[in-house]
Amino acid sequence: MLPDIDFNVIARSLPYLFRQGMSFTLTLTALAALGGLLLGTLLALMRLSTLPILAPLATGYVNLMRSLPLVLVIFWFYFLVPFVGQVILRADRPVEVGAFASALITFTLFEAAYFSEIMRAGIQSIPRGQLAAGYAIGLTYWQVMGYIIVPQAVRNMLPVILTQTIILFQDTSLVYVISITDFLGAASNVAQRDGRLIEMYVFAALVYFAISFSASRLVKSLQMRTAIPR
Amino acid sequence: MPMIEMRDVCKWYGPTFQVLKSCTTAVDKGEVVVVCGPSGSGKSTLIKCVNGLEPFQSGAITVDGIEVAAKGTDLPKLRARIGMVFQHFELFPHLKIIDNLCLGQTKVLGRSRAEAMAKATALLHRVGLDEHADKFPGQLSGGQQQRVAIARALAMDPVAMLFDEPTSALDPEMITEVLDVMVALAHDGMTMMVVTHEMGFARKVADRVIFMDKGEIIEDRPTDEFFGKPRSDRAQLFLSKILSH
Repeated sequence: MLPDIDFNVIARSLPYLFRQGMSFTLTLTALAALGGLLLGTLLALMRLSTLPILAPLATGYVNLMRSLPLVLVIFWFYFLVPFVGQVILRADRPVEVGAFASALITFTLFEAAYFSEIMRAGIQSIPRGQLAAGYAIGLTYWQVMGYIIVPQAVRNMLPVILTQTIILFQDTSLVYVISITDFLGAASNVAQRDGRLIEMYVFAALVYFAISFSASRLVKSLQMRTAIPR
Repeated sequence: MPMIEMRDVCKWYGPTFQVLKSCTTAVDKGEVVVVCGPSGSGKSTLIKCVNGLEPFQSGAITVDGIEVAAKGTDLPKLRARIGMVFQHFELFPHLKIIDNLCLGQTKVLGRSRAEAMAKATALLHRVGLDEHADKFPGQLSGGQQQRVAIARALAMDPVAMLFDEPTSALDPEMITEVLDVMVALAHDGMTMMVVTHEMGFARKVADRVIFMDKGEIIEDRPTDEFFGKPRSDRAQLFLSKILSH
């Protein structure tokens, strides 16, 4: 006997799924990708620095983050940061950080470790002569990095950066462990409420697939257009 | 007072390998000095010390009265006044030609965009590349790229220009166009220090020739004397090798 399937449940819950769920998922993805890229670039510069302490510090951070499961880090931050805040601020009770802020901080810090490795490879792919040429016209280290090295590194690494962002988009669904309603969470809520598990989970899978797959196609065509002529 | 002055410059790579051995010389304002010698003799290293791209362990270099290696020296500021042209051009591939010429002007010298554009356009005209302003470096030939690199250095209104084998990476038919620009620059009175194997160029515009071997300045003499009869065996051998064909 075929199970009783009712796709109307999807149509009924579309506004909730997208206005609440998907908008959260996309916001978190965009902000965490941006923050992760900025922090990651800084970590990459630290790892490539010849100044003492900076390199081992960044290396230690990257290795730590990459050795822990993301779910654990999400939990850890959610439950621990309020207490850390309490100690730092000498407050009477744990500081309320809020689920969204906590998730954003976690994903930014976690993704930074991955983006830093991408940026490190990107920066190292730029010939040393570019640094010398930047210095030769009187630019400072930070100007050379900001105007010459990093822009080229980002362009060379753009496909990898965007691919990592697509992975991040999928990983944001892990926020369910701290009871945040992202897209998958919203679908799950409807599924439980109406007893429509099959319909909702099939639909969620299709949406994730459609977005991720078309994004990766887009990356491919973008790659062709942004390549620096050499 | 000389524009560039070096006294007993010594440089080591690691604890044992000495690339520069007590190099002492000077370049006067408006003078063109060619530095030549076999590969690995330290020529490139020597001129990279002039704008502080290469650190050195002892001795002193002053440019326009400013000591390069002194603690308080604002190196970026000093470098902005010394133009440098590299063997592999080193244009910024992600920037249009015009922006390659404007970057230093706006970010280092603080010129307005309009001012920088005017200067850049005039310089592109001077090196014969007006119509290429909106192209990217990768779209130009090697010779054209090197002329852009010269224009980029000139955009900073340098007091001296350093050339590190500017024609070594070029196809033979492109060497002349770059040398022509350099000859014109020399005739305009630019102070130049040129590492090159182009002995024709040296004969034509150099006031003096410095010959280096194994990190030492072996000869440092007026051009005519150098080509007439080099004093050292090593310089004679070098000249016979590169002038024989």
